[in-house]
Amino acid sequence: MHISDGVLPVGAALASGAASLAIAAWSARRIQGEELPKVAVVTASFFVASLLHVPLGPTSVHLLIPGLVGVLLGRAAFLAIALGLVLQSLLFQFGGLTALGANALMMGIPALICGWLFQTFKGQARKRQVLVGGLAGGLGTVFSGLILALLLATGGEDFFGVARLALLAHVPVVAIEALVSAFTVSFLLKVKPELLQARDALHRES
Amino acid sequence: MTGTGPGDIIVATPGILPLVLLILAMAGALLVVGRRRAAAKRSGHSPEQNWSVPVVDGASQGQSLFHRWDARFKLVSLLGLAFFIVATRSLTAGLLALGLAAAALAAARIPWRRALRRLLAMTGFLAMFVVILPLTAVVQPGDTLLVFPEIARLPFNLRGLELALSICARALAVALLMEPLLATAPLSTTLEGLTRLGVPAKVGQMILLAHRYIFVFLEETRRMSTGMNVRGFRKRTHLETLRVMGNFLGMLFIRSLERTHRVFDAMQARGYEGEFPGHGQFQAAPADWLKGLFFIALGIALLVLDRLWLP
Amino acid sequence: MHQTHRLPPMPLSGDTLFDIRELNFRYPNGRQALQDISLCIRPGDRIALVGQNGSGKSTLVRHLNGLLGVQRGRLSYKGLPLRDQHLRRARLEIGLLFQDPDDQLFCHSLYEDVAFGPLNQGVPTEQVAPLVREALGQVGLAQLLYKSSHHLSYGQKKRAALATLLAMNPEVLILDEPTANLDSAQENILIDLLRDYSGTLICITHDLLFAYELCRRAVVLDRGRIHHDFSMRELVSHRPSLREHGLDFSFRLHAPLATAATLPAAPGAAEIPAPPAPQPPPATALDSPALVELRDYHFAYPDGTRALNGINFRLKAGESVAVVGENGAGKTTLLSCLMGIRQGRGRHLFGGRALDRKRRRELWRRVGMVFQDPADQLFCASCADEVAFGPRQMGLDQNEVARRVTAALRRVRLDGYEERVPLHLSGGERKRLAIATVLSMEPEILILDEPTAGLDPQGEELLVEILRELPQTRILVTHDPYLVGQLTQRTLVMHQGRILQDYATAEFLADQNHKSLNALALTYKAACSREIRELQHQHEHSHPHRHLHEHPHRHGDLVHSHPHEHEHEHAHGYTHVHQAHSEEHCHPPQPRYHDHAHQDHEQEPHEHEHGEDTPPRTQVQ
Repeated sequence: MHISDGVLPVGAALASGAASLAIAAWSARRIQGEELPKVAVVTASFFVASLLHVPLGPTSVHLLIPGLVGVLLGRAAFLAIALGLVLQSLLFQFGGLTALGANALMMGIPALICGWLFQTFKGQARKRQVLVGGLAGGLGTVFSGLILALLLATGGEDFFGVARLALLAHVPVVAIEALVSAFTVSFLLKVKPELLQARDALHRES
Repeated sequence: MTGTGPGDIIVATPGILPLVLLILAMAGALLVVGRRRAAAKRSGHSPEQNWSVPVVDGASQGQSLFHRWDARFKLVSLLGLAFFIVATRSLTAGLLALGLAAAALAAARIPWRRALRRLLAMTGFLAMFVVILPLTAVVQPGDTLLVFPEIARLPFNLRGLELALSICARALAVALLMEPLLATAPLSTTLEGLTRLGVPAKVGQMILLAHRYIFVFLEETRRMSTGMNVRGFRKRTHLETLRVMGNFLGMLFIRSLERTHRVFDAMQARGYEGEFPGHGQFQAAPADWLKGLFFIALGIALLVLDRLWLP
Repeated sequence: MHQTHRLPPMPLSGDTLFDIRELNFRYPNGRQALQDISLCIRPGDRIALVGQNGSGKSTLVRHLNGLLGVQRGRLSYKGLPLRDQHLRRARLEIGLLFQDPDDQLFCHSLYEDVAFGPLNQGVPTEQVAPLVREALGQVGLAQLLYKSSHHLSYGQKKRAALATLLAMNPEVLILDEPTANLDSAQENILIDLLRDYSGTLICITHDLLFAYELCRRAVVLDRGRIHHDFSMRELVSHRPSLREHGLDFSFRLHAPLATAATLPAAPGAAEIPAPPAPQPPPATALDSPALVELRDYHFAYPDGTRALNGINFRLKAGESVAVVGENGAGKTTLLSCLMGIRQGRGRHLFGGRALDRKRRRELWRRVGMVFQDPADQLFCASCADEVAFGPRQMGLDQNEVARRVTAALRRVRLDGYEERVPLHLSGGERKRLAIATVLSMEPEILILDEPTAGLDPQGEELLVEILRELPQTRILVTHDPYLVGQLTQRTLVMHQGRILQDYATAEFLADQNHKSLNALALTYKAACSREIRELQHQHEHSHPHRHLHEHPHRHGDLVHSHPHEHEHEHAHGYTHVHQAHSEEHCHPPQPRYHDHAHQDHEQEPHEHEHGEDTPPRTQVQ
């Protein structure tokens, strides 16, 4: 779920924009200037991943995968997510242009937290890594639901109901995100474990 | 129904609510079917998931005042206008903005179909407001409430509805403005304009690169997904589907990371050292200034109108 | 050339462009990719870098423009190691064509892509536009100047990628598998361009026919070492060393055509007589019903491109059909329509009934499709899972799944690979695994899209062997007339979305020799292979003898080069003169590597084949 234009009070939109810019700059600082293109190309793949439908009963949901992006990219995740959101807004109008900052906070902060959680608690054992990966994936969605609700609530008392409902709408997705993340982590552990070991996958293994 | 003054409580005749719900449900169903049809049309009657992505600058070859406008001015004034629009509060101002955006779209001679696609993408999110806000908006003195006897505890607050509709109007207006802003020049020109405005050049380059590789990865994803389907895979609500999706995502990431490194190599091999060379020449003509001032003035007028005169 | 103000090329002292000494490279995963490489590349050299998949060719060329740093050993370009400022300058004069053009076209439009290099070279902005136009004109894409690369076909992308390098006017051009997936017409464009190129050319390729045309020197890599440094003519004419390096493509030159007799008996194919004379295909199996049929079928892409126009096609059980045609002729679209992946206008019958959503799933059970790129089909963490995926989706029980996995893996010679990770396999193994994933579903029809793309000759030979054993009805899409001859009895020639010809494969093969299908432009290859065949058969007799010679060679782990005397089998080089249709010809001995006489050798019986112009004789006294 992305916030469109005109929902947030203009103050909240501007403030979250400023906050996002600051975090994005911090996120970019770890990356050497000339390696920024790598973030861009990787972002394209997350963009594509977020278009995947997962069936849920009679309907289907899109994956959000903030947790997974955090697990894979670490600190660069925020930058990648912000970039991906710009493109979603430009191409599809998923999320308004004036609400970009808010959307970046909503997806990017969970990614940073989950990336940190995964690197801190993953341990060595395979089972544990899969479990922590799944938790990170699920929590990522919980956090974005919470941030979305908070942002909506800046609109005043009238919006509390919508905020509560938006949070509720994330609940069924949490389980799906957690499971898909766990399976992805498990697959990567078997096939290319170095992607999960490195602090961020953008550095070539060499 | 009786009485329409502000602050009234209107009690609806029993039976209206199911009727309204029925109409809403039908409208929703129509919308879903329409979207599916449109999607099927775009993807060449393919029964697979529709992987097509619209081209941002699809109408960049046209001729209009937007096409001829210096990208720097276009960006500043239309983005400025967008922020003025979202700063308004009243429904009237929102509707005015919507009319303005529609006029701009017409002036840019952009096919309505393109703009419509943008609007459709927001329907889910906006529908949530239209349905929920009237029911949950806090009742203030002076609010007109509509009470359905079937759910007497949930009064339908017309102020909430107005709030929701004004949100929709603003969101649609800004979404429509995106087309004259983005579709009337090649994306690279627009982004170079952004750079000339002082935004770090890397931002524009990253957007362009990501944009380019979205199409490459989409194509890969489409082929992988076909590969699974012809081996009998069908997405269902069960664990096995999620496991396969997990593998699929993992594979997508591995392939894209490998691609990432190769692309970076290819850039370096042609002399990339952190800077993309620029191309365009920007020269501001008086007309650029005039158009810019016009749109900013419109935005300010709209905001002033909204804050001073409109309820 | 326009007068442009780019940086002038760096001066060259001496006659060595690249000087590589004892270069070693080990990947972080521990794989030793290069070992003690010593190589000297002079300006104007035209080198084919050949060797099996995984022999280190790509790793070596990535050193040549500093994409990989030297770990151990020395590498210098124009006298200096590739570092810092020198590396930056060197990259601007060394062009590297990547295998996948999508890696190289990273800008928003072709114009920006092609301008990227020259602008980095310091060409002023106002001079770039004519350069870009010229470079795109050279590859025949001038009309697509402002197109985004995702609107181009594969062949166009490949040419555009080359244009991005040509615009830089490089001193050295390095090509990594330039002809993979290109049709002959596109390949010819490439050859014409490269033939005119005057700088140093280094070309990685499995396609020795292509290399033979362009290169004069052949460097053979084998498991990370330089095994031989030949002249191109010597390499292709020396069959034993080709075979040793898995490069022997001569099976392509000598193989007989597939006829019903050489193909395994397939149900329905049995009644076909084994004629060298072409048979009209409709007569072959009139009574057997069509498995799949398209009637007056049309397909257009959403952007309006008409990909199929009025296709009529019947596939009967037991048939083996090749679909050939230039890039963009509609071959792959035809396959996806046959599979029901795309739906066009017209009748699509499967088992005699119209295809609907339900029957499409049935179709996918009974028709297996192997994609061009195995990466699109492999997404599991182990080979066993991968092969079991299809049967599991079909709902088979555990034992049956296990049985099918074992059988399918054995079929493609991958027994014992159950627990290996598909992503870590070599290109050839991945291809075979992709085939196994389809075979495990026990399909009646097998559809193969360019099955040998990107394989080295040895992998190709094995694959052909495996495919020939499979009993399934086959549809094969390929650019390669050799495969057509080996694997099919009937050929569809497609051109611009239509079926141009539908006849027996023997007729097709005869046809292309007569150049009647200029859309395919196969003639140059035919000429090349004839030339090589003449070079090759002359050298195929050998005998043990002692002599002195010097060349880099390997003893176990030690590579060295010195004149030494030893006894071994060695082919003899003869300069052949064959007068067409004449009985007389002489074989004067060529003294290379030999300082001894060959007593009576001229009189020994030895076998060789003659070019098509001469009547075949097997024994020469």
